[in-house]
Amino acid sequence: MSPSYNAWKLVSLSPLPSWLLALLLLGALLGVLLAAMGLFREPSRRRRILLWALRAGAGLCAAFFLLEPGIRNLQVARVKNRVAVLVDRSASMGFPVEPQGQSRSAQVADAVEQLLRQFEGMKDRFTVEVFGFDPELSPLTAQLIREQPPRAARTDLLSALRAIKAGEQGATSRKLSGVLLLSDGADNAELASGVAGRAKSALSDLEVPVSTFLAGKENLRDLAIENVKVDDFAFVRNSIAVEVEVRGRLFKGRQVGVVLRREGQVVASKGISFHSPDDLQTVSFSFTPDQTGRFVYTVAMPVFPDEAVAENNSRSFALKVIRDRVRVLLVVGRPSWDERFLRGLLRQDPNVDLISFYILRTMSDDPMVVNQDRELSLIPFPMDEIFETKLHTFDVVVFQNFGYTDPQLSIERYERNLDRYVHGGGAFAMIGGDHAFGEGRARFAVLGNAMPVEPAAAADLADFRPRLTPEGLRHPVTALASGSISTDAAWSTLPQLPGANITRAKPGATVLLEHPFAVVEGKNAPVLALWDYGRGRALALAVDSSWYWAFTSHAEGSQSRRYDRFWGNALRWLVRDPDLTTLRVTADPASVEPGKPVAAMVAARLPDYQPAAQAEVKVDLYSVAAGKVVATQSATAGMDGVARVEFPPPEPGAYRLLGTARKGERSLGEGEDAVAVRAVGPELADASVRPDLLSQVAKATGGEAFRLPLSSMPELPLLDPPLVEVGRSKDQPLWDRWYYLLLLVGLLGAEWVLRRRFGYI
Amino acid sequence: MSSLSRRCLLGALGALPFARQALAFGDSARFIPAVAQHKGKWDARLSGLRRLAWELQRRTSVEVVADARPLRLSSPKLFEHPFLYLGGDGELPPLEVEEAETLRRYLTFGGFLLADANDGSDGSGFDASFRREMARVLPQAPLSPLPATHVVFKSFFMLDAAPGRLLQKPYLEACSLNKRAAVMYSQNDLAGAWSRDDGGDYELEVSPGGDGQREMAYRLGINICMYALCLDYKDDAVHLPLIMQKRR
Repeated sequence: MSPSYNAWKLVSLSPLPSWLLALLLLGALLGVLLAAMGLFREPSRRRRILLWALRAGAGLCAAFFLLEPGIRNLQVARVKNRVAVLVDRSASMGFPVEPQGQSRSAQVADAVEQLLRQFEGMKDRFTVEVFGFDPELSPLTAQLIREQPPRAARTDLLSALRAIKAGEQGATSRKLSGVLLLSDGADNAELASGVAGRAKSALSDLEVPVSTFLAGKENLRDLAIENVKVDDFAFVRNSIAVEVEVRGRLFKGRQVGVVLRREGQVVASKGISFHSPDDLQTVSFSFTPDQTGRFVYTVAMPVFPDEAVAENNSRSFALKVIRDRVRVLLVVGRPSWDERFLRGLLRQDPNVDLISFYILRTMSDDPMVVNQDRELSLIPFPMDEIFETKLHTFDVVVFQNFGYTDPQLSIERYERNLDRYVHGGGAFAMIGGDHAFGEGRARFAVLGNAMPVEPAAAADLADFRPRLTPEGLRHPVTALASGSISTDAAWSTLPQLPGANITRAKPGATVLLEHPFAVVEGKNAPVLALWDYGRGRALALAVDSSWYWAFTSHAEGSQSRRYDRFWGNALRWLVRDPDLTTLRVTADPASVEPGKPVAAMVAARLPDYQPAAQAEVKVDLYSVAAGKVVATQSATAGMDGVARVEFPPPEPGAYRLLGTARKGERSLGEGEDAVAVRAVGPELADASVRPDLLSQVAKATGGEAFRLPLSSMPELPLLDPPLVEVGRSKDQPLWDRWYYLLLLVGLLGAEWVLRRRFGYI
Repeated sequence: MSSLSRRCLLGALGALPFARQALAFGDSARFIPAVAQHKGKWDARLSGLRRLAWELQRRTSVEVVADARPLRLSSPKLFEHPFLYLGGDGELPPLEVEEAETLRRYLTFGGFLLADANDGSDGSGFDASFRREMARVLPQAPLSPLPATHVVFKSFFMLDAAPGRLLQKPYLEACSLNKRAAVMYSQNDLAGAWSRDDGGDYELEVSPGGDGQREMAYRLGINICMYALCLDYKDDAVHLPLIMQKRR
């Protein structure tokens, strides 16, 4: 054996294919068997054995020549296995190990240097590779760990372990002997809730011991909002609960105030106290949103001077407030058919919660009773309760032919409340009649400000059919059918109405229906007009006979539901049903992690509610805290009328996205949404270390758990290198010797001689 | 009622069509009773309806036009008057197909029918024929007695019975469509208790309760009109505590 070869093995050097070799060997075996069978009648046992042995020996020799055996000399070498050092590069590694001490990351850098020194003595067996995970793996050195601060927004230990294991099947075939994981254990991904179930199985499947090294200590003083539990949406005027989990470390015995704000305004506050050095307290807030839309809420606590992290003392979230049912207050001047049909409609609508007050008796009416309390079912008109206490609870207030000056029925002293209610986002509708729009005695000097029309002349008693204005052809309130042509046809077939209040539209009002011949100052008198008043909306219908559309229109047998559709449209418009807005702005998403961009989807529609293709969209990012627009983005909508705009990451806080759109010279309206930019993501929300988690990881994989700093080099459980790699080889034939041939010839010749002598030939 | 002088009444009735004319801008919202013209004796109680309208105007905030509008059941004009009175002294002749169809549509789309057996019949005369015709018009909504808890007994006055000129049955019957009583029927000749002659005297004696019963008949009539105008308003939750207290 040559000195350069350090191993050998026996091989067949025959050039014949395997199947032919097998066939020939079978022939040799048959030759031996046939010879044995031919000797059955031989009476001499000694002769029989001798002849059979000679044949068997010849068969073996033949097989030897067929197989051509040889020795293969090999040159082999043992391969070094890998040891992976995994370094946590998440942002929480930037926390100090102890107040004013080095960072966890710096502590890890020291440990990496120490470990590399230990493996220097085992370099013939192991190759050590250092990686950082953020969460993608990347090569790292102790120097880089010191120079580059950890920034990753999340910690995903299991994902990093999987990635390092997968590297085994990559470019290098070196087997992994072990993983050294250096982290604070603050996992906020799969292992956040501990090592159990599928996570435990996943760790076992790695089939490599993971030894963990805990960076950081548990004794950081910190207040943190760890979790805020709240539904994605709430119902307006319905109580909603927010559960806040607050962790206080080294705050035992301290009282801390927790405040819930809606875009700067305090909604609720509570005090909590901590009972142990590491205590988790739950604070429950309950409040009742009074407006629909999306709002940013912030839970906050004061920041104490020696806290590890200040940013985790507050957390913002976006809450969408929707309405379960439209709550309508219907105030009726007196019973009438107009009231009867509107009530019938609203009462049967499952989406409407109707609260109504009718004036069934005025001071001049005499019911002819002895005991009013016992004989009449009337209740006092609870004006204080309605127009002061409960007014904000209504989505829409409808005055139907209502307007009294009697002290007991006049609402003069509540007009300012009503005006504020509408201006602040409420909705108001006034329906005509002989008590409304200047026909009655009440002037509504203050509430009139909210109305899109003002009295102009005495009522016109002539029958008429209201006419759609160009705005009315396209407006959703008057859309009795799909498309302006069908809508126009629908209105033209409705019955004539018996008279109208005569008003004039105020500047800024949109007139949807007009009187065909009653003229005020050169313009046709409005029959249906509306406008946005402050943040609210108001509508005026200057007739008391819209019930004709519900009842009289059936005189000829038609089955139309135009009355239902008209009032349904009107209510939806009044409460700003999102489907009836021409511009819809939606934050995408509504809660943004720190450092991420804020984006908004803007859907623009034309007044006829077709997608506004190529509309010019502009969105302002308005900071609630600063009270000003901090950024503006523009975009052109696609053919579907939808555009997406994106803002560079803003400062943490509450923002409103204020959108406008134009198509040519035409404004397509305004829309808005809210977005919460969080101060800290889940990574920085908690400064705690998790030694328990790292111990569980080590245990699940057969590794060991250690704490940094290392006082001495520990014994690390590592798999032995089992792999052998072949370098060169050389074959040396064994069969090409002359004496093997002589043996074969001798055996065959001896058998022939003996057979002849014994009389077999 | 006895305190009201005949002169006062006549004066008031005369002034009624002009009441609040300066303020109103049309009759569409006003309460105008329509009277069904059928082939039987349909107009026996027109003065009673006029009187009821007057009482409605005087006692409540409802604005009325007192003169009832006689209309054929097949008339499209019916659909301008959601309150229809159908009375009869003697048998109600079978309705034409068109009349039955129009009445069905009228009731289905929100109209209200007050039927009144002016003959006080029970199982014969107007009673039998009206039941027969209603079974044709609204086969899906048979007449059934209204419970004492129905809103019609508290829609303005607190009532516990349903008297008219007579007291054949102490209750009303109704055909209900979608929880709304579209038809109310009295066998007690309600309008008979309200009727006055041209001189202002009551035309018919009330039996068995006298003037007290007549007043209750007025109150029931007003409650029925209020129900037609306000539906179940008095069943709203806001009213219930007070009404329950009054009931006690």
